[in-house]
Amino acid sequence: MAKTVFIKDTAITGKDRTRDFYGLFLGVLREKGLDTTIQLVRLADMGIYSAGIAVRVLPDNHLYTQVGESDIAGIVESIKTGQPYQPRLTKQASTQMRIVLRNCGVIDPEKIEDYIAHDGYHALARCLTELTPEQVIQEMKTSGLRGRGGAGFPTGMKWEFTRKSAGDQRYIICNGDEGDPGAYMDRSVLEGDPHSVIEGMAIGGYAIGASKGFFYIRAEYPLAIERIEKAIKQCHDNGLLGSNILGSQFSFDVEIRLGAGAFVCGEETALLASIEGKRGYPSPRPPFPSVKGLWGKPTCINNVETLANIPVILFKGGEWFSKIGTETSKGTKVFAVTGKVKRSGLVEVPMGTTIEDIVYGISGGAMSGKSVKAIQTGGPSGGVIPKDYFQTRVDYESLQKMGSIMGSGGMIVMDEDDCMIDIAKFYLGFCVDESCGKCAPCRIGGTQMLRLLEKISEGRGVPKDLEQLAMISRAMQKASLCGLGQTAPNPVLSTLNYYRAEYDAHVNDKKCPACKCSKLLSFLIRQDKCVKCGMCFKACPVGAISGNREKGYVIDQEKCIRCGQCFEVCKPAAVLRQ
Amino acid sequence: MAKLTKNDLHSLKAKYAASEKNWIKVGFSTCGIAAGAQKVYDVLCDEARKNNAEIEIKKCGCVGMCSAEPLVEVNVKGLPRVFYGKVDRETAIEIMEKHVCGNLLVNDRIYDVKVN
Amino acid sequence: MEKAALEQEVRQIADSWKGKDGNLIMVLHQIQNRYGYVPRNVSLVLSEILNVPLARIYEVITFYHFFRLTPPGKHTVSVCMGTACYLKGGPELLGELEHLLCVKPGESTKDGQFYLEVVRCLGCCGLAPVVKIGDKVYGGVKKKDISGIIAHYSKEAEAKAAA
Repeated sequence: MAKTVFIKDTAITGKDRTRDFYGLFLGVLREKGLDTTIQLVRLADMGIYSAGIAVRVLPDNHLYTQVGESDIAGIVESIKTGQPYQPRLTKQASTQMRIVLRNCGVIDPEKIEDYIAHDGYHALARCLTELTPEQVIQEMKTSGLRGRGGAGFPTGMKWEFTRKSAGDQRYIICNGDEGDPGAYMDRSVLEGDPHSVIEGMAIGGYAIGASKGFFYIRAEYPLAIERIEKAIKQCHDNGLLGSNILGSQFSFDVEIRLGAGAFVCGEETALLASIEGKRGYPSPRPPFPSVKGLWGKPTCINNVETLANIPVILFKGGEWFSKIGTETSKGTKVFAVTGKVKRSGLVEVPMGTTIEDIVYGISGGAMSGKSVKAIQTGGPSGGVIPKDYFQTRVDYESLQKMGSIMGSGGMIVMDEDDCMIDIAKFYLGFCVDESCGKCAPCRIGGTQMLRLLEKISEGRGVPKDLEQLAMISRAMQKASLCGLGQTAPNPVLSTLNYYRAEYDAHVNDKKCPACKCSKLLSFLIRQDKCVKCGMCFKACPVGAISGNREKGYVIDQEKCIRCGQCFEVCKPAAVLRQ
Repeated sequence: MAKLTKNDLHSLKAKYAASEKNWIKVGFSTCGIAAGAQKVYDVLCDEARKNNAEIEIKKCGCVGMCSAEPLVEVNVKGLPRVFYGKVDRETAIEIMEKHVCGNLLVNDRIYDVKVN
Repeated sequence: MEKAALEQEVRQIADSWKGKDGNLIMVLHQIQNRYGYVPRNVSLVLSEILNVPLARIYEVITFYHFFRLTPPGKHTVSVCMGTACYLKGGPELLGELEHLLCVKPGESTKDGQFYLEVVRCLGCCGLAPVVKIGDKVYGGVKKKDISGIIAHYSKEAEAKAAA
């Protein structure tokens, strides 16, 4: 392969010097007569951030960072010899590891041949011909895989419980009701690699002794539904679902059931009620679904990401899988890194990777000109983790210790413009909306807490409100029937814990430090900075700004609705927001 | 197709692994489609025909770089495998003319490089 | 529609699911696909066909956000309010749409052209903030883009396209 050199200025602030550096580098190559044999390419993104000018040479795979003009000659020389140029040589620190997403973006999800060509259904074949169901379960236990839906219950044990429950019929269910707003790992897997989930389900069905499986997918994901439908049909055509799969004695089939927009249906017992065609009301556990589940039969419910792990584990062995990750959390985790981050998208990393590596190393940190304030994991059931704690390694236990949870994998990045009370209010509002109303602690407690937060964000809060928030939270955690109510206070408790000062500012000083809560803001025109252009005057939707181009402008605080339009349009930043 | 057996799986795998054609993959997941993957796919197919390019244009799922959709991965023998991001009509034409037919990578449009 | 004709249509939809356990939600999905909402007279017919009390059907319809009891506008405008979209300006987009269409979420415009709704995460968080009109998803939308996008679907624009 001919040599290729990639160049990118990875600095986040300042002028992009990629083009200038490219010119210099090309000059040196010309001088040495190498510009026809070595290809020089400017990148739009390199996956490396805040490391000055970065240069990558392929196929040697040498990476240089903080490269200066004086280094060019040395690098060019090293390209000729193939030996790395030591002074600027770097190893890329944070790398992803793809197990769940192994085929996403690699295969054509609508072609079963493509999946088979990438080792697809080989694990199922191995299970059916070489392993007994007990051995499959043993392999899963060895792997140490824990449920990726949030709670992290060991998958092997879940399978064993279901297998050991007496019943003439057992079921396996794929929970594809990805309810966490701001997370879409499951959608991507269902869309990008549907067969791996089906294979995982078939293996699970074989292990627990189920002949029937159900996909429960959100109706908001039409493409995922379409791809799974196609994949199921292809499996029927090829004898990978139906009777006597791959010529064995094992028969298994799956059906799709759609969700209809209810967050609570991500909870196991509510999900079962919904598949049965009823309201998605949760019911008390025990009995657990593994004993008494769908239509009263032993049922195993696994999340999409969990199932996508299974074919790899059975193909490469539980032993192999257990070597990845930390002591208590094995394997990898997919995160949907979104919000105020430079490179938002899906990230799959081994358990034990630091939050810092994920947010800064892989995702590039904040958008330009801002700084990251915190992340939020676990959606409406999780909590925030401030920047000071980004050395935390992601696994089930350490995130829980931080007052958050692993959750299904949403990771929302927030910057200095985001108000923590506003965030808490957003999540709580979500839970209040989604509460099914069956039990009082969740139904009433949630609403009361939301009222208190609204009061605080509107500047009507009193110090006692904060105590009351904590008190209601405890009651909800202890007395709610299902996971939704038990975890709904988490966003409030964690923001209260880490950002008490921000709450105090709202309550005592009637100020919003992030300038987000509009009722607490006021806008003023600084006459010393005003250039009398009249933009604010034109932008104001309620006519609260008066004046003219000679005398300048003032804002009538009585009329002002604090929409911030004047602040946005003011070029010389003469509108003061406080 | 007839019902598969374990041996069929192995022979199918061998058959597909042997193919060494140049290819382009366009990400067709919800975010890719929302960002305009279909248009990019159509332009690439048109341009391939116009240029008589020996290339297979395939669809695939989401690679994960959602903010850079529509994403196009290009594999041409002798060149590094790269991901073009935020691909529009012009970039798609450039990819076909320069990269596929001219063996020259397109500047300022690559969002990731496959290292191994 | 005549009751007999309606009954036949509903029967056709329901038949493929008849006898299957827990079919009600799936049948309702197909009905909403067909009519855009679940009309009361359809529920009445369905109750007879599936032998399920009408109260049971309404119990399910009113529990799930996805099902509608009133006809939607011609174009459904969905504003995503997932966390990523919320942080990146979803509320401002919603405000602009409310202002432009003169409706609140859950309402249709007077001319029946648009139905405005707020949805929980369309799963395109990488493109936040996101607005969906019909089946088309618009990513990275700014407040000033809204009027242009909506104009595309207005009656005048459609009449022009037809001519």
